[in-house]
Amino acid sequence: MQRFLDPTVLAGISSLDLVAKTVVDGFVAGLHRSPDFGFSQEFAEYRAYTPGDDLRHVDWNLFARTERCYLKRYRGETNSQLTVLLDASNSMEYSSGPPKKMDYARFVAASLFYLALHNQRDAAGLIVFDEQVRDIVRPSTRPGQLGRLFAALERAEPHARTDFAKPLHHFQELLHRRGIAIVISDFYEDPESIVRTIEPLRYRGNEVVLFHILDPQEIRPLLKSSAILVDLETDHKIEVVPEYARTSYRAKIDAHVEHLRSRTRAAGMDYQLLVTDQPLDSALRQYLALRKERN
Amino acid sequence: MGFLTPWFLGGLALLSVPVFVHLLRRHVAIPRPVSSLMFFERGIQSSTRHHRLKHLVLLALRCALVLLVVLAFANPFVHRVAANTNSRLLLIVLDNSFSMRAGTRFADARQQALAKLAAKQPSQKAQIMSLGGQLQILTQPIFDAAQMRSALESVQPGDGHASYGELGHALRAVAENVHTPIDVHLYSDMQRSAMPANFADLVLPANVTLDLHSVAGKIATPNWTIESIDAPAELSDPKDPHRSRVRAVVAGFGTQAASKTVSLVVNGKTISTRKVEVPANGRATVEFAPLDVNYGFNRCEVRVEGGDALPADDSMVFAVRRSDPQRVLFVHASGDTRSPVYFGSALKAAAKSSFVLQSVSQEQTTNLDPSHFAFVVLSDSAGLPAIFEHTLAQYVARGGNVFIALGTSAARRARIPVWDANVADAHDYVRLSGAATIGEVDFTHPALLDAQPGRNNGGWAEAKVFYAAVVDPRGARIAARLSDGTPLLLDKQVGQGHVLLLTTGLENLTNDVPLHPVFVAFADRVARYLSGSERLSGSRLVDAYVQLRAPADSTSGQGSVEVIGPDSRRPLSLSEAKTAQTLRLEQAGVYQIRLANGRDMLIGVNPDRRESDLQPIADDVQRLWSGSGSSVASQTEAGSTHQESYRPVSLWWYVMLLAFITALAEIAFASRYMSTQREEI
Repeated sequence: MQRFLDPTVLAGISSLDLVAKTVVDGFVAGLHRSPDFGFSQEFAEYRAYTPGDDLRHVDWNLFARTERCYLKRYRGETNSQLTVLLDASNSMEYSSGPPKKMDYARFVAASLFYLALHNQRDAAGLIVFDEQVRDIVRPSTRPGQLGRLFAALERAEPHARTDFAKPLHHFQELLHRRGIAIVISDFYEDPESIVRTIEPLRYRGNEVVLFHILDPQEIRPLLKSSAILVDLETDHKIEVVPEYARTSYRAKIDAHVEHLRSRTRAAGMDYQLLVTDQPLDSALRQYLALRKERN
Repeated sequence: MGFLTPWFLGGLALLSVPVFVHLLRRHVAIPRPVSSLMFFERGIQSSTRHHRLKHLVLLALRCALVLLVVLAFANPFVHRVAANTNSRLLLIVLDNSFSMRAGTRFADARQQALAKLAAKQPSQKAQIMSLGGQLQILTQPIFDAAQMRSALESVQPGDGHASYGELGHALRAVAENVHTPIDVHLYSDMQRSAMPANFADLVLPANVTLDLHSVAGKIATPNWTIESIDAPAELSDPKDPHRSRVRAVVAGFGTQAASKTVSLVVNGKTISTRKVEVPANGRATVEFAPLDVNYGFNRCEVRVEGGDALPADDSMVFAVRRSDPQRVLFVHASGDTRSPVYFGSALKAAAKSSFVLQSVSQEQTTNLDPSHFAFVVLSDSAGLPAIFEHTLAQYVARGGNVFIALGTSAARRARIPVWDANVADAHDYVRLSGAATIGEVDFTHPALLDAQPGRNNGGWAEAKVFYAAVVDPRGARIAARLSDGTPLLLDKQVGQGHVLLLTTGLENLTNDVPLHPVFVAFADRVARYLSGSERLSGSRLVDAYVQLRAPADSTSGQGSVEVIGPDSRRPLSLSEAKTAQTLRLEQAGVYQIRLANGRDMLIGVNPDRRESDLQPIADDVQRLWSGSGSSVASQTEAGSTHQESYRPVSLWWYVMLLAFITALAEIAFASRYMSTQREEI
């Protein structure tokens, strides 16, 4: 099986859980060659026995060889809580070719959920928002949670426009426990405003990651001649010439991405640009890296 | 310039359609959705300028298309000069027939033709032809005067007989292909004997004008000639008073009565001279006998003393071959004693000592080789020994000839040897109606040759046939039929040889033909035809053809022929010598030929004696001929000789072609423009 399936191939798979399983299994199979990551309990250190210690932790094999009593200590296994905040505004509907940005965001979220619940035993939850919170699946590890999350992803059709400010207080209510919060959006707003809105999520000890989903045509638009462009969220129209798209626009979008990346990191958050024609492994890798840091 | 249908110009109002489309109808672009206009800026000014540029080109193309289509329907035309000198084809015909050898006729004619060619304008097309034994096209219609001059200078006086009827036919054919007016200039001696029997053969098409340039005077030039010769081609006994003689006819055309000396020359040596009185403008016969020639081929010539305008026709050449009498194998049924007697007697009476009949019964043929005989006669021989029949078949395949007479035994044994067919039926006329007569005789067949057959069907009408076999005539030439249509004499080529089949017998039981005088002539002609010796010598006319090999032989890869012409040159190339079936005798003189089957041939070739009559065509006939084609045209042109006539030339095709190109350009530009709208979806 191909390790990372092409997004255009994933777009042809109708079942979201199959997409997630395909992506994660391929991703995990690749990790076996990497020494940096592990999932089970890990050995931490030996400590001399002191009276009162639990005898169950004594390493009796070592005692048999050396006649010294040592306790074998493990790195305590901690469960994280993953919450995905999915932007379902109209701008996510854009596509220059399969998959749409919304579909790509679904694949990312589904793969994260599958990785968290199935492989890491982490609690996972979902908040779908546009200009307000549209759907909530509270983080949980209960059986059937994966199905509920996938169903919520299926229901998340693009609608209205993005507004981070309005649903912010809902985020803070919902994220009352420490964990990892991943915001998936195309972030067509001022980076200052975005960071200012999302930054409070960190105050409760959350690790916040921004997955910036963009279509290749949004980064490098190709216009053969002048055209009338329509904003998917506001329905505003303007006529644009190819010269502008080739020069000024590219500079602006690059500056926007760089500004958002720098501001996000300055605020102690992580940022990952995901282009819809690239495999999903960078998103999963980012999640696992964060989880390791937390442990 | 004008328009043939100007009312279609009203269609120019349609020009408003593309103007409306381009100027009044706003361009509608299909919007293209994007996630956000956050980073886009309006760029109207440059975009509009770009579109307008394209629009103007497209508008111009569409207006031009409408304009051209309307113009095409209006059918524009321009005036052009209808037919000036440069558009007329100059056709120069130079007569190089035998009579042009008289005096300086040919040199004069060529000089005049060259002068005419030199006077031609460089921009006028011309064509050169020569009229001899056949009309030859020396050049195609071209402008290159040097090439045509070279063609004219290459023409040499020939030995053929010209025919103005053939010229008229060729001019009609040229006029069908060349639609411009044709000016024909004929440089000839205007010989009366070259005129066709029917004046209609001379009539020219309307676009042909004929100028006759006669190089002969108005009065006929006196000319003496040897008009004909009666001499044996094959001679076996020089002392035979009937055959060993040469009879020549001396003719005078436009001459006074005179006494002429006629000589017989054999192999370059004058062996006899006679004085003959020739009446004014008449003929006299002179005879040389006996004809003492050596064994083999002899080149003979009869000459009349010269002193006339055309010395080339003062002699006539022919070839005589002297040989021993040829043996003829006569195979008959054992009980048949009559047929060898009848046929042998007839052959002896006719051909004297030329042929010797060797008569054998069919049972005695086992050890005989047919190739030792001039030809073979099978008389009622249905039961030939198989070995002889096989030998005979090979003999015929190699070129031998057989004469088969079917007697009464044919009905009993249906198969006919060598003939490759069976007897289908037999008619016993005695039981039916008493006897059948010979109803149809082909006097052009060599075995029945008779130039002037009598009223009684050349003597055949009196003969009666009592019994005849019925043979399928497919693949054979029927030379004679009975009154009920039953084929009587058939000729079929088998391999390289010929088989002559008589469906009745050679005795007086199945018919009474042997009892009639015609049987003697028949036996003589059959013998000469089947022996083939007559064809190997004698004389022919110029432009006659000689068969070099059998038609089936052309691909068999048998030996090549060898021909040496009168000028001691070989007229056939090596490849032609391997494949040519016939040879056209183009020159006067003696041809020496070795045929494909290895037999030698020596024939004298003489010009057609009609060429010796130098009497020109009457002036009124010449005027009638030269005016036949252009009379109508000249009447219409008479009034406008000095005025240039114009004709309208339609430009419809050019305008439509331009419209088509414009339409293609419009499609290309329009599709480019439309693709601008589609690609952003």
